[in-house]
Formats: sequence, structure tokens, C-alpha cells
Amino acid sequence: MQKDYFITQDKIDRYGRINGDNDIIHYDAEYARSRGFKAPIAHGLMVQGYASALGAEKYGPDWFTRGVMEVKFVGPMFPDETVSIKIDDHGKLEVKSGDRMCIVGTAHLRDE
Amino acid sequence: MTRPSEVKPREGDLPGTTWDEFEVGAELPPFDFTITPDIVKEYSDAIDSDIDQFRLDGRQVAVPSVLSVYLMAVLYRKYPPTQGGIMASNKFRYYGPIPADEETTVTASGKVIEKFEKRGRRYIRYSARFEQAEAGVLIAEAENVSTFPN
Repeated sequence: MQKDYFITQDKIDRYGRINGDNDIIHYDAEYARSRGFKAPIAHGLMVQGYASALGAEKYGPDWFTRGVMEVKFVGPMFPDETVSIKIDDHGKLEVKSGDRMCIVGTAHLRDE
Repeated sequence: MTRPSEVKPREGDLPGTTWDEFEVGAELPPFDFTITPDIVKEYSDAIDSDIDQFRLDGRQVAVPSVLSVYLMAVLYRKYPPTQGGIMASNKFRYYGPIPADEETTVTASGKVIEKFEKRGRRYIRYSARFEQAEAGVLIAEAENVSTFPN
């Protein structure tokens, strides 16, 4: 199962409002460049939220009581890029922007 | 309704915690927050999700990752954040749904698990636990690793 999301600075700002953060690495281009990024970076938790919603679509009601998600943020995600969220049949989770891997991990159901 | 900004110190508002100041084994004290339908709606919008999409036993429920906007509060309430923190990894285990159509008061707590250095960066690993405030029923557990520039 796969879903694409186009990230914009407006979406990062919107997530920041509900997230309640003030971490300028998400909002200040000059600061982000000083840290080695080409632009402000998207919240990892925002994109993880995309993946969590995809997990709910994939696994249905069990996701809310037995869902497990483990992610490593291995590359930044920037405004004006499309990220592709993919959960395969074995629960392997990948988030890519073009050919660049951004998140690796798993999304699966816990055994009970 | 508890907006995350009401329970989470914001970067720059207080002197940021240095890596040396984090104490492995430190308990992250419990605090309560209330997730309302408005919070669920705003969160759903923020992750481009349809609030009407998810149901459990006929009831509308939130995307469980709504808890993630409260995750860093567990750490930051004891250790105020510095600017420029970057998240390295996360684990979430979901145990119980959060209704989308009524209020849920949650008690969150946690513990600092580990400090480590890797490739010149300094990391903190901590755990978080989210329970229904009165019933004490487990909703979710989480573990986060973040790196901070100081």
C-alpha cells in the first residue's frame, strides 16, 4: 500500500501549530542552512502521522489496539517535495522523496 | 481541550537543556492533557487525513498518532528544549483507541533510558507512556531518540 503527499511550508507551519513547537529548524531557512540543510525540514512526526494513517487504512480496526510503528529518520524531508509512504505486505515501511530514502521502519500488528 | 503548547515548553522560551544535564534513569513526571474532538480534527487536517475515515466498533476514532503531538512534552517538561533538536527515531505501540467524538483525558509519563554519541552527534533516548487519566488503562507506549546541538 502506498500513498504520496506533497509537502509545503504551509503544511509544515500547520503541523507546527498543532504540535506546539517553536523549533526554528522547521521554519527558518537561514538557520536550516547553517545546520547543513538546503531548506527548513519537515517534522518527522508529521510524516510519521501520514504513515500511521496509512497503517490504519492497511490494517483496519486492529491498528488502534495492536498497531506497532517503528521508524528511523534517515534523511530530511523538505517543502515542495513529494514523499511516498509505502507499507509492504510484510509490514516494511519506507518513506522516499524521489530516490532519496527519508524514513525506514516497520508498521505491523502486535501478536496477542 | 489541551493544546500541546499548553503543556510543552517551547524552544527558546527557557534556557535549553544541555546534553550533559540529561540524567539516565530520570523519571519524567506525569501530567494530564485532554484530547478533544477539535484537537482530533486539527491533527487530522495537519496530516492530510479524513477525520471521518476511521471507525472501531462503529465509533469514530482518531488516528492514534494524535498522541505524537504530546510526545516531546513528556521530555521537555523536565528538560526544556534547545533550538535545533532533530528526531532520529520513534517507536509507538498502540493499545487503545482515542475517540474522535468525545474528550479523552490522558496521563503521560516517561523515563530517560539512554544517552549516547554516534558520528559526532549526541543523542537522548526516552520512553513515554500514555494512559486514560482516571481508569489507568494503557493507550500507547512510545520511545523516542532525538539529538540536540548542544
